[in-house]
Amino acid sequence: MNRYSETLYDAWGQSFAVDKVLFETHTDHQHLVIFKNSHYGRVMALDGVIQTTEADEFIYHESLTHIPLLAHGDVKKVLIIGGGDGGILREVCKHKNVESITMVEIDNAVVEMSREHLPKHSDGAFDDSRFQLVIDDGANFVAETEQTFDVIISDSTDPIGPGEVLFTQDFYGNCKRCLNPGGVLVTQNGVPFMQADELISTHERQQVHFADNTFYTAAIPTYVGGVMAFSWASDNKDLRAQNLEIIKARFEQAELAVRFYTPELHLGAFALPGYIQEHLK
Amino acid sequence: MASVSLPAPPVTISPASEAEIYRKAIETHGSPLLVINPAKIRRAYRSLNDALPGVGLYFAIKANPHRAVVKTLAECGASFDIATSGEIELLREIKVRGDNCIHTHPIKRDKDIRDALRYGCTKFVVDNLEEIKKFIPYRNRVGILLRVSFPNPNSPVDLSKKFGCTPDNAIQLAETATEMGIKIKGFSFHAGSQCACPENHTHAVERCAELLMHYNETHEQNMSILDIGGGFPVPYDNGTPDIESFCAPIRNALKLLPEHIAVIAEPGRFLVADAATAVSTVIGVADRCDGRWYYLDDGVYGSYSGRIYDHANYPIRVFSDETSVTHPTIMAGPTCDSIDVFAENINIPELKIGDLVVGEMMGAYTNATATDFNLFPRAKIIESTDAAF
Ligand SMILES: Cc1ncc(COP(=O)(O)O)c(C=O)c1O
Repeated sequence: MNRYSETLYDAWGQSFAVDKVLFETHTDHQHLVIFKNSHYGRVMALDGVIQTTEADEFIYHESLTHIPLLAHGDVKKVLIIGGGDGGILREVCKHKNVESITMVEIDNAVVEMSREHLPKHSDGAFDDSRFQLVIDDGANFVAETEQTFDVIISDSTDPIGPGEVLFTQDFYGNCKRCLNPGGVLVTQNGVPFMQADELISTHERQQVHFADNTFYTAAIPTYVGGVMAFSWASDNKDLRAQNLEIIKARFEQAELAVRFYTPELHLGAFALPGYIQEHLK
Repeated sequence: MASVSLPAPPVTISPASEAEIYRKAIETHGSPLLVINPAKIRRAYRSLNDALPGVGLYFAIKANPHRAVVKTLAECGASFDIATSGEIELLREIKVRGDNCIHTHPIKRDKDIRDALRYGCTKFVVDNLEEIKKFIPYRNRVGILLRVSFPNPNSPVDLSKKFGCTPDNAIQLAETATEMGIKIKGFSFHAGSQCACPENHTHAVERCAELLMHYNETHEQNMSILDIGGGFPVPYDNGTPDIESFCAPIRNALKLLPEHIAVIAEPGRFLVADAATAVSTVIGVADRCDGRWYYLDDGVYGSYSGRIYDHANYPIRVFSDETSVTHPTIMAGPTCDSIDVFAENINIPELKIGDLVVGEMMGAYTNATATDFNLFPRAKIIESTDAAF
């Protein structure tokens, strides 16, 4: 039986039974594979690191989408950086009041491949009339665009790899530049139990640009090593300190079909364990 | 004229008819050629594997980074010793996984570390505090070996001069690393290349075994790997021990290690030296006061580069049926530099322009270090499993 072993850490790691390889390329100095696993469904891995699986992607995508959108409460324009698999897009599309969704992917091949091999991630969202795809480097796009957005979601790969430019101080500054007043930037920020330095450096770099900067978390089984952190950056401190009733009301009004998100979890996600708080002092 | 006279390489004079297969090769592929025989690589891999049972063999790509060589060793089940991002690219192309590799260059830029991590290689070698500090941001991802130096002035290539901490310093460095959150998984050493005898290896194994056991008894963190490096010799001339007798004392020394310690090695030369044959053509002849000079279309700036960098004296084969009359002979490469001489102090029968000269055991540190000096094209590299190569 074939196995796929993650090569993130020398001392330990997760390993999957590969029931069937659906897609594999060794181009552009990277190795990308999509395979089937009996528990996790379709699994995508890049350079030895699990990127997404059909079974647990909802936890990640709902966390990165509904928490900023419902915290804001009046989102019209959303920018997704990366996110070529379409999972974030699918969740944003569930918000009827959103008027335009721009997604910036560096390579159209990622989108094409995901549509074909991970169709449940986008679930038709690429055909949503509010959606616009831009093929560009995300760092470049935020540096140059004239448009502004209410929420920016950075759904990047890890900072060791192609996503490196999406973890720089310049990138965060440019995101701030194209956020509307009171807008919020959220980013994928790794698993702090294993990658504390990533959290610390993001905090240092975002603090420079935003009045309010913290992290929230969710436990995603295949991002191993405890909870995953998402950075939260905004100039409006009140966004994350809403009371439960307001969030509940927005959630009910939005009529979202979700499996992970609840208003209680939304507020609780900002309660950080001591070992993470320690890094933010 | 070359300023230092070189010792004579071993020379074989074969019947003219035996040149036929080499002549056919250059008629098809052009001259000069370097012919790699994958069957010989497989044979060398098996014999080292037999001589060091249970030791993980990490081929040091630097010895010969040709794709066919690396591919053959991957098929044999070898792991890989990498030193640069260029070597990583090569391994990616032939689909070797990063967890099958160890990055052994003791000095790295941040980008080198990131490239290796991104490739999935999480094992690294360091030898000093400044290098250890470079791993702080990656401390949870990596496993680090500490390179200890055991100077070997008797090896033609003493690799402990440039790299390695002293054995006396090793424990303290490991402790400092632990304080920084970096776990040292074990020790590595490199006993020198083309070692004439195994004593430096056995001495280093014994000392490292002591250090490992002492460390494991006195620290909470346990070391679990000993990397015994490369250095396994090949018979360029008759004085070299065979691999079984070279490794027997090393096997004995390894018995000192507790059972849970994994042992790996980084053989370069031994796996590939025998597997390549250089075929070049006489392009000029001159009688000078010190003997007859033949100018070949390959030399020390090409496949014979190891003559300079690696201090290797490759066995030479010429073809003639006139073995009764021989001349003092010097063989030189085609460039305009006087250092470009690869055989001196030999006596061989007369050769003509167009005749062939074959260099044997030219698979290690040959094409790896060849240059484009004078813009002479490098020898074309082809593969053949014919027994002549
Ligand atoms: C770190 C390291 N490992 C392994 C080798 C391979 O040595 P050898 O070809 O003598 O086996 C070298 C050669 O320079 C080296 O520097």
